Amino acid sequence: MITSFGRLLRAELKLMLRDPLVLTFVFVFPVLTMLIIGGSFGTKPDPGFANINPAHWYVASYLTVVIGATGLIMLPVHLASYRERGVLRRFAAAGFPRWSFSLAQLVVGLVAIAAASAVELGVAAPVYGIPALHESWRVVSGLLLGSVAFVSIGVLLGTLLPSARAAQAVGLILFFPSFLLGGAGPPPRGMGAAMREIASFLPLTQVTDSIRDPWLGLGTATGSLIAVALLAAAATLLAARRAAL
Amino acid sequence: MCKRRPDVSLIAMTNTEVVTVRGLRKLYGGRPVVDGVDLDVHEGEVVGLIGANGAGKTTTVECIQGLRRPDAGALRVLGLDPATEAERLRPLIGSQLQESALPDRLRVAEAVELFSPRGARDGDRLLEQFGLVERRRSAFASLSGGERQRLFLVLALLGRPRLVILDELTQGLDPGARRNVLEAVAQLRNDGTTVLLVTHELGDAEALCDRVVAMRAGRILDSGSPAELVDRHSRRATIEFGFPDSASLALLEELRGVVGVDEVEHAARRVTVRGDRRAIAHVGAVLVRAGSVPADLGVQIPSLEDALLGLLEAAEANGHAGANGHAGANGHAATNGAAGTHNHYLTGALG
Repeated sequence: MITSFGRLLRAELKLMLRDPLVLTFVFVFPVLTMLIIGGSFGTKPDPGFANINPAHWYVASYLTVVIGATGLIMLPVHLASYRERGVLRRFAAAGFPRWSFSLAQLVVGLVAIAAASAVELGVAAPVYGIPALHESWRVVSGLLLGSVAFVSIGVLLGTLLPSARAAQAVGLILFFPSFLLGGAGPPPRGMGAAMREIASFLPLTQVTDSIRDPWLGLGTATGSLIAVALLAAAATLLAARRAAL
Repeated sequence: MCKRRPDVSLIAMTNTEVVTVRGLRKLYGGRPVVDGVDLDVHEGEVVGLIGANGAGKTTTVECIQGLRRPDAGALRVLGLDPATEAERLRPLIGSQLQESALPDRLRVAEAVELFSPRGARDGDRLLEQFGLVERRRSAFASLSGGERQRLFLVLALLGRPRLVILDELTQGLDPGARRNVLEAVAQLRNDGTTVLLVTHELGDAEALCDRVVAMRAGRILDSGSPAELVDRHSRRATIEFGFPDSASLALLEELRGVVGVDEVEHAARRVTVRGDRRAIAHVGAVLVRAGSVPADLGVQIPSLEDALLGLLEAAEANGHAGANGHAGANGHAATNGAAGTHNHYLTGALG
């Protein structure tokens, strides 16, 4: 079984690099928007950004854009497209165990996030510089748990949505509000009370807080980290149950 | 609605049986799409499931592959129960599924690598055998319909399967591609591979199958070799020709007495002779002997398509029970049973 899983994983990793949707939303879009918005507010510490260099604020925030794009767009569209076109039936008929495809997608999603994050930091470093990590274990924990949570949400959405078009529509509707309110848009202090309240309930906001606050020394964000851990556990459990059906 | 499944251990399989199905029933939304199907496939046989769309052919083979769980019935495939041992069974079956695909950007050679289990056949040799070696680096999306079907055949054969299931293999193919794919399946038959072919292209079934099983509305109407089904259910052979000026009416009387002739009609200076296939040669011999060889003689030989249409029309005319009654009235229940397939509904009605 490990052999069939290994073959599937290798093929899926190759296909990920050939998918224009992945290259656009997971690799190009976060880097491009990070460069634009990071340069929009200057580099002087700003009270609106908790007295942090705004460019550094966005460098620390934008890893979650990669996480959101992977979980809300890349994986649901990929999985729903495979199911719609009968690719999953073909894998099943060829003897690939039911769990192997979902597990391969989980690994592919995590690899995509790691690679796109490295690209983003690689581009940010010479332009804005990389802010120093204040509590690295918390940052890494937030990054890992947030990635697992959103990749599992992606697998779950992919098993629920009936077609690639539906997955794309639902994915974009979920992604852009999360993108704008959950870390990549204005900082919480720049939002109105209602928007700030809505943003505080978004899963991507919790992931962003659990990474950005300990990274920039703004706090431990323990509550957000716990919320992300619970989300990761619940989404993984639900995705595993759906994948086993 | 019975959900209880018979004990598969009760199925008596011979050494040569690859597939044994008893009383298979599958419902979609409470509507039976497969309703009491019995089916046996023996080692080395090419068996075709034929019938119109919605006859239950694909659902039957999906249950055999373990892709769908039956609501009732007992199945044994290569000694395993598809409902409970699907993960052990599927690697033993080579499948070409209806309406399925591969990832668009997966290349042919990568697909072969992906679908090659441990101990697989030489993928390059199979690609060469099926005329795809030049397309090794091509993406799946760039392949023509015929190339895709040939690739699916290659993938189905990689794991040295003991049973190959092909579902609507030639659907939507142009004549050239269809011929290539049919040649590939004929090659499988010549190699002694057991093949279960699902098709509503009856020319394919007639050309390739040792035995065909005709289905309608989830039930088996009849089974046998294509020639047996044609003999049982199709209209007779028809011979037509213009009545020669030189011929006498005695010729018509002589034709009526020819072996195999059932009916001779003479109208508007044309003669129509109906009978079984033997009549074709005998009528020809009479005409030659009489020195009245017509230049416009035409012969219509019944095909499997004619047989299926006859079978379906009879079933339609009599309703479901009539379909079974039709088979039973012709004594085909026993024939079908002997051939390895019989109508469960009919057996029940008689039993």
